Amino acid sequence: MNRSLVLLRFSLGQLLAGRRLVLIALLVALPLVVPAVFAAGADIDPATFTLELFRQLVLPVLLPVVTLTFATSSLGSELRDGTATNLLLKPIPRAAVLGAKYLAAVVSSLVVLLPAEAVGHVIVAGGLGSTDLLAGMLLATTVGALAYCALGVLLSLLMARALLVGLAYALLWEGAVVSVAPSAASLSIRGYTEGVLAAVLGGGGPELTTRLGPVSATVLAAVVTLAALVLAVRRLERMDIP
Amino acid sequence: MSGPAAGADVPVVELRRFSKWYGDVVAVADLSFELWPGVTGLLGPNGAGKTTTLKAICGLLHPSQGEVLLFGRPIQRDPMLYRAIGVVPDGDRLYPRLTVRSYVRLHAELQGLTDPGAAADRAIAEVDMGPLADRRLKGLSKGERQRTKVAGAIVHQPALLILDEPMTGMDPGQRARFIELIRLIGSAGVTVLVSSHILGEVERLASQILVLVSGRLAASGDYHAIRDLMADQPRTVMVKADEARRLAIGLIALPSTVAVEVDGDALRARTRSVDSFATALPRLARDQGATLREVRTTDESLEQVFRYLVGRR
Repeated sequence: MNRSLVLLRFSLGQLLAGRRLVLIALLVALPLVVPAVFAAGADIDPATFTLELFRQLVLPVLLPVVTLTFATSSLGSELRDGTATNLLLKPIPRAAVLGAKYLAAVVSSLVVLLPAEAVGHVIVAGGLGSTDLLAGMLLATTVGALAYCALGVLLSLLMARALLVGLAYALLWEGAVVSVAPSAASLSIRGYTEGVLAAVLGGGGPELTTRLGPVSATVLAAVVTLAALVLAVRRLERMDIP
Repeated sequence: MSGPAAGADVPVVELRRFSKWYGDVVAVADLSFELWPGVTGLLGPNGAGKTTTLKAICGLLHPSQGEVLLFGRPIQRDPMLYRAIGVVPDGDRLYPRLTVRSYVRLHAELQGLTDPGAAADRAIAEVDMGPLADRRLKGLSKGERQRTKVAGAIVHQPALLILDEPMTGMDPGQRARFIELIRLIGSAGVTVLVSSHILGEVERLASQILVLVSGRLAASGDYHAIRDLMADQPRTVMVKADEARRLAIGLIALPSTVAVEVDGDALRARTRSVDSFATALPRLARDQGATLREVRTTDESLEQVFRYLVGRR
């Protein structure tokens, strides 16, 4: 098997091993599925309920918490406890090591988030419901996971308290600063995900107002993700490994 | 076991005026040496710069100044050189949930070996871990974990093997077998660099040694010649025993003893020959009716010996 694939498979195993996966999956599923069960029998518009749950709970809290947790522990924790030397002292370019660790964090995040979102949506709608909404949520989550994981991996190479700093960015900058200074949304991953969601919902589903247009959101998400990954690779290639 | 294509006249490892500093702290200064096939011991007290030097050779640290070349090339620009390098790093850098077999197999797979399972089994057998191959690493003793790290480092039969304090935690039997294995690997044409702060370990492992003191090369070359230089310098031995005062009277009469200080049930002797001291001590204890509770040479005394070497240069 290709060395990078071995590394990816191993990294996924490390991130999703045993009770940790069950615990994180429960922490994500409960706040999405339980409200959905109660909403299913109530007199509310299923699409509006699901969209609001996604905008109020998934985008500001669950998405950054899950992705940053996986991303900062994927490589940064191994560098700090010394186990990363097992992987870095191998005939694999450091860019490939970082790429495998990044992909492992993205896949792990999506394995936890996407099923919970889909199940919650199906319960509220009593079936497949609005497919545009479902597709929009899953795509927005994927874009958000790609960007947050890139940020998390970069932060974990720069500082010891990467998770704390990443969560502070998500809660303070994206939550508080963007709400009082809308122009700051151009530096907000949450803003990008909302833009991507709006782009998909443009063809149907509930109405959604966002600060960034679909094109701007998509382009900015790609730029931020790539920039964070390039900086992370440069950092990993130049840093001294403890 | 062969290295990457390089001329026969190119050293396997070459440090050219290598220095490493962290802010104002100099870890290693102006270090130059070459390594060729065979076993070389890297000797020095704790904090001498051994681990920093080994990490620089492995490509984990970037030189602040100077060059580190492996097979004539800087490793940072050529990760494929790791095909020819096996490393046993310091500390407990293992994945606790893995078994011995899966850990060594992971190394084989990351090296791109065609039959990683067979390579892993062979390496595990070489370090006598066969009976424990399916045990998880978190349940192993320190010595067993060290041997597992060695299996991971030799699974691809590297041309250069670097070991940082590899015998930490091993019992005497394991040490003896490990030394035999390393000598065997060295005699097969592999370049082996082993660090230790224990003179006796290095003596049994390597004929060539490099002595580091305070980040500088204090001595290099044949072990016995350097050992003779070291032998001129008194070493300190700590002894705890009841009847320490009577024991001290017997010890001061030994020709090799320089001084003895007594403090309660402990005594601190300075001797020019640790070997003759160790031979005479049990006999004296028996004659004086004293029970020995602890006997050890001190790291500080080893450092004094190293500093003595620096002073002679």
